[in-house]
Amino acid sequence: MAVADLAAPDQVAEPVERGRPPRQARRRRWAFLGVVPFFAYISIFLLIPTGELIVDAFKTANGRFTFANVEAIVHAPYVPAFEFSLEVSAICALMGGLLGFLVANAVLHDGMPRFLRGTFSSFSGMAANFAGVPLAFAYVATLGAEGIVTRLLAHLGFNLSYNFDGLIGLSLVYLYFQLPLMILLVIPSIDGLRREWREAAANLGAGSFRFWWHVGFPIVAPSVFGMMVLLFGNAFSAYATAETLGVTNLVTVWIAQLVNGNITVDPQVAYALAFGMIVIIVVTVTIYTLIQRRASRWLR
Amino acid sequence: MTAARTPNPHRFRRALSRVHVWHWLWIVVAGLVFLVPIYSVIQFSLSGTVKGQPILHWYYTVFDDPNFLSSFWLSLQISLETVAISLVLLVPTVFWIHLRLPRLRPVMEVISVLPFVVPPIALIVGLSVFLRQFPWLIVRPEVLSLIYVVFALPFVYRSLDAGLQAIDLKTLTEAASSLGASTFRTLLTVILPNLRAAIIGGSLLTVAIAMGEFTISSLLGFNTFSVYIYNIGTSTAYEGVALSFISFIITWGAMLSLFLLGRGGRSSAQVAIAK
Amino acid sequence: MATVQLRGLRRQFGDVVALDSLDLDVASGEFVSLLGPSGCGKTTALRIIAGFEWPDAGEVLVDGRDVLGLTANKRNMGMVFQAYSLFPNMTAQHNVEFGLRVRRHSGEARARRARELLELVGLGSAMDRYPRQLSGGQQQRVALARSLAIEPNVLLLDEPLSALDAKVRVQLREEVRRIQLELGITTLYVTHDQEEALSVSDRVAVMSDGRVEQVGTPAEIYSGPKTEFVANFVGTMNRLEGTMISRPDGLVRVAGIDFKVPDATLGHAAGDSVQLYVRPEDVTIELLGNGGPPSPGSFEGRVTHLTFLGPVTRVGLLTDLGPLLADVSSAVALTLSADTVVHVRLDSSALYLISS
Repeated sequence: MAVADLAAPDQVAEPVERGRPPRQARRRRWAFLGVVPFFAYISIFLLIPTGELIVDAFKTANGRFTFANVEAIVHAPYVPAFEFSLEVSAICALMGGLLGFLVANAVLHDGMPRFLRGTFSSFSGMAANFAGVPLAFAYVATLGAEGIVTRLLAHLGFNLSYNFDGLIGLSLVYLYFQLPLMILLVIPSIDGLRREWREAAANLGAGSFRFWWHVGFPIVAPSVFGMMVLLFGNAFSAYATAETLGVTNLVTVWIAQLVNGNITVDPQVAYALAFGMIVIIVVTVTIYTLIQRRASRWLR
Repeated sequence: MTAARTPNPHRFRRALSRVHVWHWLWIVVAGLVFLVPIYSVIQFSLSGTVKGQPILHWYYTVFDDPNFLSSFWLSLQISLETVAISLVLLVPTVFWIHLRLPRLRPVMEVISVLPFVVPPIALIVGLSVFLRQFPWLIVRPEVLSLIYVVFALPFVYRSLDAGLQAIDLKTLTEAASSLGASTFRTLLTVILPNLRAAIIGGSLLTVAIAMGEFTISSLLGFNTFSVYIYNIGTSTAYEGVALSFISFIITWGAMLSLFLLGRGGRSSAQVAIAK
Repeated sequence: MATVQLRGLRRQFGDVVALDSLDLDVASGEFVSLLGPSGCGKTTALRIIAGFEWPDAGEVLVDGRDVLGLTANKRNMGMVFQAYSLFPNMTAQHNVEFGLRVRRHSGEARARRARELLELVGLGSAMDRYPRQLSGGQQQRVALARSLAIEPNVLLLDEPLSALDAKVRVQLREEVRRIQLELGITTLYVTHDQEEALSVSDRVAVMSDGRVEQVGTPAEIYSGPKTEFVANFVGTMNRLEGTMISRPDGLVRVAGIDFKVPDATLGHAAGDSVQLYVRPEDVTIELLGNGGPPSPGSFEGRVTHLTFLGPVTRVGLLTDLGPLLADVSSAVALTLSADTVVHVRLDSSALYLISS
């Protein structure tokens, strides 16, 4: 009956007996059918390719099992690429995390104008989407050889030769989408720092520093570090911007090269590299989830 | 007693307190980080010259290039297909889970984070192996829509989940059923209208992601908008800058619509990852 | 212990005047409640004293010295907030110790004092518990202990019991008062609950729209309201419209009956329209024994409804003087029902005249 279908599973029109009535159990099982399309889709387009990738990392071109690919990626030129990718990700996660926190805190602070919050939220939403190819060109226009900032500094006598494939150079570019991501993520956490705690601390004699030291940081630190981990994963997976800027010493760029490459085509190693990336990211996301679980305790 | 008539001097001192200077400092720094590149793009376009013509000239020629329009149109098409597939797939699913399978919600939360775990570049590598078995599919641009659904998933899911949380789903469906409506009809006529904001929000984010996506489309050899910008830009950086600015305006426009249509309740769901 | 004086405090938020030239004196060791409805400015006044907000004009003097130049953390006042003020990442003990830590007391001294205070509020056994493990009432006790730890000159409480259950509220307010008397600390207490204010304060300042309507002891406020607002806000009041007949005699005529009003206020002339107020407990009902005429001074009334309030029943009456509420013991009320006709008498000594 169509009408009865809509009742919640635990509202049974039949007399209640010990144990679940069989009709209800059957209805629950049929309910799972409703989500089959979604799970099928996810399997096809996410789970299976990922699994396939992991399996292929251990296969030769002929399909036999081998460790050779994984072996290859722990040598040059891949190891420096891993190192550099990890370094850039770590640096811009730290920079973005710290700066994002300071900015969000500044925007949300009691005495500051109200419009700042909306402005920064909207702009962050926008800036975070400005990643990829257009961002690369924007930075070329800023810090490239003919860039506006470069020319400005030249006027002041300072000769800037900006390295887009340097550690700080690339991190600064990535900051453009890391910073807004952090701001959006951390605003709810700072909101969670109740005004009463701040005021109670002041009332008991604590200035800003002592408040943050004893109360503020201990409470937000788990979330903030968790978000930095997220930023790390985000930067580590980045490809388009770096590719456009001509950076070659990145794992993601190498993977693209090996699959489509002009120099060499070695898809097996690409699979292994991708596998390595997934391992690293799974580790970081696990850390993130564990930290988040701990963080939610105090912000209830 | 007569009240003091002079303006309170203490407020003045407070406004200049160290704490506030500290905060404004970081706001200015953030402002610089965000605005300097945008300013540079504008200034670069206005002041630079290439081949004897002001770069502004190239803004016009860009529109003359048939590839510009075709790639833009292709990206737009793909975006809309992605939106359609996402909604058809997710709206009933999320609705069904909220209604009948609430225990699956934690599972969904985990799944909605998975696309973050698998980097696009890794996913496409794995996917192209898998898709090679369907050679007819891999050459059609529609395959991009199918893939983008996965990347839009976290945002669309969060949007719909939040939207369904906000309405009392159980009461509404029970009311509808007591009036004789079937589940499907309820979904269509009662739930969907109430989810309008969430659907629009999720869709706009999907469009933003799909329009800006580069990694997968370039590796599969499709000439989407980002690929076009990349090709033009890497040969002539100046046009790349112009295109970058145009793309920025488009993204800004999409975000502005998002802002206007869905005030409040936005959070990290606003961030799309297009790299 | 410190004295507190508020002089001409004024605070405006846009078009809204939160405080309109507020004056108040609090003596050393006194417990003064700021009582009023939401939006009357009582919390704003308290926050200004504490240092979380600044007035547009006026002075706050503690022991004769202006404290507005000091930031909140330098004023050495204790504050108990309405809720959620305990630091969630610290145990009750560490919360209480916090102020002492800032003042660099040694670990041992801090622990001793924390124990002392937690025992004072009856939570000696909860020292190691976190706020989320404590009930609302317990949390507020810890908050009180924490604010007292620093030995403040002034204790400020901002509706500390509003978020708690009714029974807990009654219990806790008595404890707060007991502790305050024991320590002799000057206290300012903000509340919208008049029963609370009347039961624990030395004096009550009734506020409305940013101004103090009346300041006095609880008895003065209850038995001698000076303005219409106070009369209506504190307790229940019956209101009668009448005309002044003779000012020196204090005679007011209401619907043909003359009442002698004690302490008829100045400013009214014979012939003026005035309001007479009388509390329900001062309205007496005489049952019609034999259907005879009303005795002198009393008048007829018809019962319209009965509201059972526990020990007392509130009787709604319709009389020639207008609608009246009378409180009678519930035992007597059992003999009444709607439409019963009764004789009503007003106690002259309990009539108030308030200028409109």
